Amino acid sequence: METMNNYTGNILIADLASGACETEELSPELVEKALGGAAINMELYEQYKDKDPLIIGTGFFTATFFPCSCLAVLTGKSPITGKIGHAPLTWQAGVELKLAGFDFVVILGKSDKPVRLWLHDGLSDINDSQDVWGKDVWESVDKIREVYGDDMIQTLVIGKAGENKVPIAQVSENYWGSKDSFGFGAAFGAKNLKAMAMRGLGALEVAEGFFQKCIELKNEILNGAIKGKAGIKDFIAPLGLDAKLKEKLESQTHRLNACYNCPYPCYTFFKYREAPSAMAQTGVADPGCLTAGLAGLAQFHKLGIDAPQAMEKCFKAGLQPAAVAQILAKKGIKDLAAAEAAINELAADSSLKAEAQSPWPIESSLPKEAGIFSSAVPPKPVFAEASAFDNGDAGQVWLKRQAIAYTIGMCPIFSLLAPEVTIDKVVELVQMSAEWDEFSKDTLDNIVNTLIQKSIG
Amino acid sequence: MDLKVEPLKCTGCRICEFACNFHYDGSISPIGSSLMFYREEKKDYYGLMVKREKSLLLGRPEGERTLKPGEQIEGASASSKPILLRVACDRCTEEEEGPLCIRACPYGVLSME
Repeated sequence: METMNNYTGNILIADLASGACETEELSPELVEKALGGAAINMELYEQYKDKDPLIIGTGFFTATFFPCSCLAVLTGKSPITGKIGHAPLTWQAGVELKLAGFDFVVILGKSDKPVRLWLHDGLSDINDSQDVWGKDVWESVDKIREVYGDDMIQTLVIGKAGENKVPIAQVSENYWGSKDSFGFGAAFGAKNLKAMAMRGLGALEVAEGFFQKCIELKNEILNGAIKGKAGIKDFIAPLGLDAKLKEKLESQTHRLNACYNCPYPCYTFFKYREAPSAMAQTGVADPGCLTAGLAGLAQFHKLGIDAPQAMEKCFKAGLQPAAVAQILAKKGIKDLAAAEAAINELAADSSLKAEAQSPWPIESSLPKEAGIFSSAVPPKPVFAEASAFDNGDAGQVWLKRQAIAYTIGMCPIFSLLAPEVTIDKVVELVQMSAEWDEFSKDTLDNIVNTLIQKSIG
Repeated sequence: MDLKVEPLKCTGCRICEFACNFHYDGSISPIGSSLMFYREEKKDYYGLMVKREKSLLLGRPEGERTLKPGEQIEGASASSKPILLRVACDRCTEEEEGPLCIRACPYGVLSME
């Protein structure tokens, strides 16, 4: 490997105990060993494991022309399981992090007061965060964007649940929760870390010919398994979920949104405080919520509760929606007002005992290693059979597909939608980007197998 | 021929901004693009602006609007402010296969007319 296309070359080491930030080089040797994303996160986790690390890393293709290369990965010890978990951060956070000048961020220790990490222009600051401590996620995002003066800043934020170290607390991507099923909100809270804020206006170099290859792949994807489909509503039938959920969601849908450079818009904005068809700006400040959290929506729908509105309550509190819905089911709660009261109680319940459980109300047969990756991702491919993606047992296909996505920086949901993103194409584009002719399927296999083995311990 | 925007086809993936910048300097970045994506996130109100030689094309959810210098921009968020400093869209005239933003967009938001 000769060049470092796709990366900025910087690893930030932020020590919250001392308040010091240092930048280290992302060495070509580390990229050669683990490529990126969760695989490099694991290497960094092991390097710093005595200092209670949380690692946020971008993938090899994150923020490039590779389809749906939106991903960053948050790696650490899960407050729910006590084991290693890798939470996918989609939407725009990974892009903003890398273009802010950092491929990886290692967060060590605990601050003695509430702080946030502010990353921009290759600079890093640990700033006081008492202005938003105690505020909910939405208030916090608004305030942080106001303070730093840019409403395109991307944030990773905790709500009161994270501050109170509730094990089902999430790290939220802006206002809209996340696919964190590991309780990393509580891990942020334990460090007195309220938020990360990122603005990415830097630049990345890519290999010659990379743009055209990615456009060809994107066009192939558009004519493949996803053709004619859009939104999480179209996941409902193939996943065997309740058809009435699709009707309900369609009746509240405003617009579909996509993560960075994604050919499939999963994210759906639901409007329930004004007409879903309203496109013009109106005086309604908070007309609804945006989510791709189909498992949570399905769980609330099962309870007979307006699912998008219940999601909003969870997002504000900084709680995992599907886990909340499963707790509400045990309490027999079936209306939104009671759900809101219970959500507020849960966000204050530091003594809550949580366990890892599938949030999907459907059968699946994933191997035990699947627990290192987010359970918010559908437990099987959506529009095509597992055999369209790879040979072998369906559960193992899912696991390998996830491990590759988390390493290269492709959204793990998108990785289950588009069999056109073959392993051969991934290998070809890594070879091209890194000018690394020796990179092969075996190299990729070794990297993702090492990731899985190190993660399960 | 100028770049045209169909705002309601947009999903906010932002790849057009990055493709435009790539056309100018061969790197991935939003900063040198003639296109700028803007969003009021809590309202799901978003669209695209295009810097032209003598005007600004504002692709809003309500529809397209061309603005001359000095006209007030309604409906654009604060993040849209720096576009007047950007280079005007050169329509990728020397790109053999056409404008990069059009080629990169998965949703058919952009076209030339």
